Amino acid sequence: MDPLAGLDDSSTDDDNASQTTEDDPQVPQPQEPPQPPPPVAQSAPPPVAVPSNPRDRPHYELKHTMRGHTSSISAVKFSPDGTLLASCSNDRVVKIWSPFTGELIRNLNGHTKGLSDISWSTDSVYLASASDDHTVRIWDVESGLTTRTLKGHTSYVFCVNYNMTSNLLVSGGCDGDLRIWNAQKGKCMKTIHAHLDYVTAAHFNRDATLIVSCSLDGLIRIWNTTSGQCLKTLAEGHDAICQHVQFSPNSKYILSTAHDSAIRLWDYQTSRCLKTYQGHTNQKYCIAACFSVTGGKWIVSGSEDNRVYLWNLQSKEVVQVLEGHTDVVVAVATHPTQNMIASASMESDLTVRVWADRGPPAES
Amino acid sequence: MNANLPNPFNITYPTAVQTSLHSQASFARFDPTGRFVAAGLPNGSARIWDLGTKSTVRWLDGHVKGVTSVDWSKHSRYVLTSSKDWNVIVWDIASDTDPPRRVTTVRFDAPVTSAAFHPRNSQILLVLLSIGEAYIVDLRKEHRGRFELFEPADDAMDAESSRHRAAMTVARFDPSGRHAFVGTSNGYVLVFNTRTKSLVARHKINGAGIMKGLDFAKGGRRLATNSSDRTLRQFNLPFYSSSQTTILESELEPTYRFTDPINKVAWHTMSYSPDGEWLAGGAADNAAHKIYVWDIVNEGQFAATLDGGREPLIHVHWHPNKPTIASTTNQGNILIWHCPTPERWGAFAGGFEEVDENVEYEEREDEFDIEDESVVLARQQATEDEPVDILSRTPQSSPTITRATLNGTDEDEDNHWASEEPDEDYAGWKMKVLMEDEEDA
Repeated sequence: MDPLAGLDDSSTDDDNASQTTEDDPQVPQPQEPPQPPPPVAQSAPPPVAVPSNPRDRPHYELKHTMRGHTSSISAVKFSPDGTLLASCSNDRVVKIWSPFTGELIRNLNGHTKGLSDISWSTDSVYLASASDDHTVRIWDVESGLTTRTLKGHTSYVFCVNYNMTSNLLVSGGCDGDLRIWNAQKGKCMKTIHAHLDYVTAAHFNRDATLIVSCSLDGLIRIWNTTSGQCLKTLAEGHDAICQHVQFSPNSKYILSTAHDSAIRLWDYQTSRCLKTYQGHTNQKYCIAACFSVTGGKWIVSGSEDNRVYLWNLQSKEVVQVLEGHTDVVVAVATHPTQNMIASASMESDLTVRVWADRGPPAES
Repeated sequence: MNANLPNPFNITYPTAVQTSLHSQASFARFDPTGRFVAAGLPNGSARIWDLGTKSTVRWLDGHVKGVTSVDWSKHSRYVLTSSKDWNVIVWDIASDTDPPRRVTTVRFDAPVTSAAFHPRNSQILLVLLSIGEAYIVDLRKEHRGRFELFEPADDAMDAESSRHRAAMTVARFDPSGRHAFVGTSNGYVLVFNTRTKSLVARHKINGAGIMKGLDFAKGGRRLATNSSDRTLRQFNLPFYSSSQTTILESELEPTYRFTDPINKVAWHTMSYSPDGEWLAGGAADNAAHKIYVWDIVNEGQFAATLDGGREPLIHVHWHPNKPTIASTTNQGNILIWHCPTPERWGAFAGGFEEVDENVEYEEREDEFDIEDESVVLARQQATEDEPVDILSRTPQSSPTITRATLNGTDEDEDNHWASEEPDEDYAGWKMKVLMEDEEDA
C-alpha cells in the first residue's frame, strides 16, 4: 500500500520476503531480559529500513522466444494451473506451449478463419476460442479435439471469456452482440444487443453476477448476467475509445485500456476513475492489459512502440519496460502463480515471448 | 458483493416466477452457496440443477424408491439423499463422474422419512424413519455408531409413559448443530444434545396435534413449526445450557401464529428468508399454487400471496442469500421466484442519472470557470494517489448472530466434538464441468 509504511511495521513485508531473506537471519528475541519490557519494544524486529528501490521494481528478463505462428497473434493466455500457455492467431491455429521450456506442445486446428481471443476453463481442461468464422469452439486441450462448436453469432467473434466456475461463457461479436453460453451444453442462453459497434472485450466478475463489456462505440457497460439488463454505462473521455476491459481480481474495480494511450482503473460503483496509467503508445490496435499480483502489484500492457510496459499499481510509475519484440505487442498475460509474463506481437515479429522475474540484482 | 448496484429497490421477498425447471421433482432445495438446486424425484433419483445455466449438472441415481429428502453439506460438496428404499446415500459431487462418487450408503430397517447433515460435519447424520424413530448416525472412526434418540422413561409420569410412546414425525438440526430438534405426533418438540444424545428439553405445543415440519431462522434463535392443526407457529427459543442435568420441561408460547383464516388451508412447508425477516408458507391447496409471505419484523403481518398458477404446490424453499424461492408443483416442476427489477434505460447513457421528480439544477460555483489544463491534471493526479486494493474481497456479509457468539463461546465442547475428524468439505472446491455428448446438444 503506502511504500513509506514499512518503517515501523513488519507485517506487510511477507510477500516480498523471498527477495530479502538472505541478509536478515538474525533473531532479536534472545536479547530480551526477563524483566517486563515496555510494550514499545515490540516494533523493533524488522531490520533497518530495507532499501525500498530494488524490491519495488520488477526484474523481468526474456526467457523464451517461441516462433511458429504465421500471421498476427491476437491473444496469449496462461492456463489457470500454470502449466500451459496458449496463443491464438490470425493463421487459424491455437498453439499450446510449455511456458517453462518454450516447446510447442500442440496445435488446435479447426477454425476456418482467423482467431481473435481465447479463454481457459478454470480447471485448465478446456479452452474456448473466438474466431472470424462466426463461431466459438471449446477444445479439449489434452486431446486437441473440438468438443463443442458454439454457433449463433452473425459476425466475427471478437472476444470470449469463461466465468469462474466455468459453466458459462460470454462472447462478443462484431455485430455488437454479447452472447452468454451454457458451456456444458454449448447452447446460447442469452443474446444481449449490447453495443452499436464491435464488442472488443467481455468479462465476468468473480461470482458471475455481472458482465463488463466494451466496444468501439466508446462505451463500457455493465450487465446483469441473469436478467441481461444494463446496469451502468461508463463513458471514457472525449476521443478515447476503449478497447479492452476486465474486472480486477476481487471484482471491485475494472481496468480499461483506451486509444488515448491510457489505461484506467475504475470504481464502477461510483463511476470514478481511480488511476490512469500512461507512458506507452496505444492509438490504433486493441491492446489488452492485465494485472500482475504474484509478486509486486503491477499493471502490464503491450504497446505500439514494440515494448511491454509495467506500472506500479499504486504509484502509476512505469517500473519496467521489456524490449525485444519487433512489432506492436498486442497481447500480454501474467502467470497465475509465478512471476512470469507472456507477450505476443504482430505481423513482422510473430513471436510469443516469455519473461520471468529473476529477483533483484545480486548486490543490494 | 454488488448488492447496491443491481438492486435499487428494497423488496426483500420475491414476487414473480423467473423460470420453471421441468424435473419431475417432489421437492427442491437450494444449496448453501445458492448456485445449485437439488431435486428429489419419486422414482428414486435426484438431480442437481445449476442455476447459472438452468440445466442439470448431475444425476444422483442410487435409490430404487422415491427420494424423501436431500441435504447439502456446509460448502455444498456433499449431498445426502434419503429414500423409501431404506437407504441414505452420501454423494461427493466434487468427483468428476456422473453419477458422482458415493461416499457411503447407510441402510436402515424401515423407509427413511428424512435425513440431514450436521451443519459442522457431514459425517454426522440425523435420520428419521417412517416408523417414528430418529437416529444420530456418526460415521467418524473414533465415534462410529448409530444412536437412537428417545425420551427417557420418566418415573413421575409412568402412567403416561407406559402408554405407547409418541412417534417422531420430524427431525432437524438447529443451525449450530448443537441440538437435534424432534417433533412428535402428540404435539411435543423434543430437544436432544447432539453430542451426548440426551434429552435436553421437552416443549409442549398446545393444540398443535401432529408436528409436520420445523424450520430455523439462520441465527438459530427462532423456530417455526408446522403441524396438523393447519397453523404455522413461530417461537423464540430459550437457551439450552450444556451443563444442565435436568430436562427442561416447558410449554412454548408462540410469538406468532400464521393461518389462512378464510380457506383454512393446511401447510405443506415453510421457509425463512436468509435474514429471518420473512417467512414463506406453502399452502396445501389442491387447486392452486400459493405461497404466503409474512413479515416477521412487522409483528408477523401478512405481506403477500405469490400465485404460481394452476399446478398445486408441494414444497417451498428459500434461497440462502437472495430474495429467491424455489417452489415445487405436484407436476414436478420447480418454479424459481425472483424479484424482477424494471429496466432502467438511463443505465445505457454514460454519466446519466435518472431522477424521479424534477430537480432544480444548481450550478456549482466553479462549473464554467476556465482552468489551466495543468491545474486540472495536477488535481486529477492528486486524487489518484489513494491506494487501491485489487485483491481482497469483502467477506460474504453474514450479519447473523449465532447463539454461540452471543454467549461469547464459539468453541465449546459440543462444537469441538463436532469438529473432530473434519470432512473434506472446504470452501474452494470446484465442480467439474462435464461436457455432454455432442449428439444430444
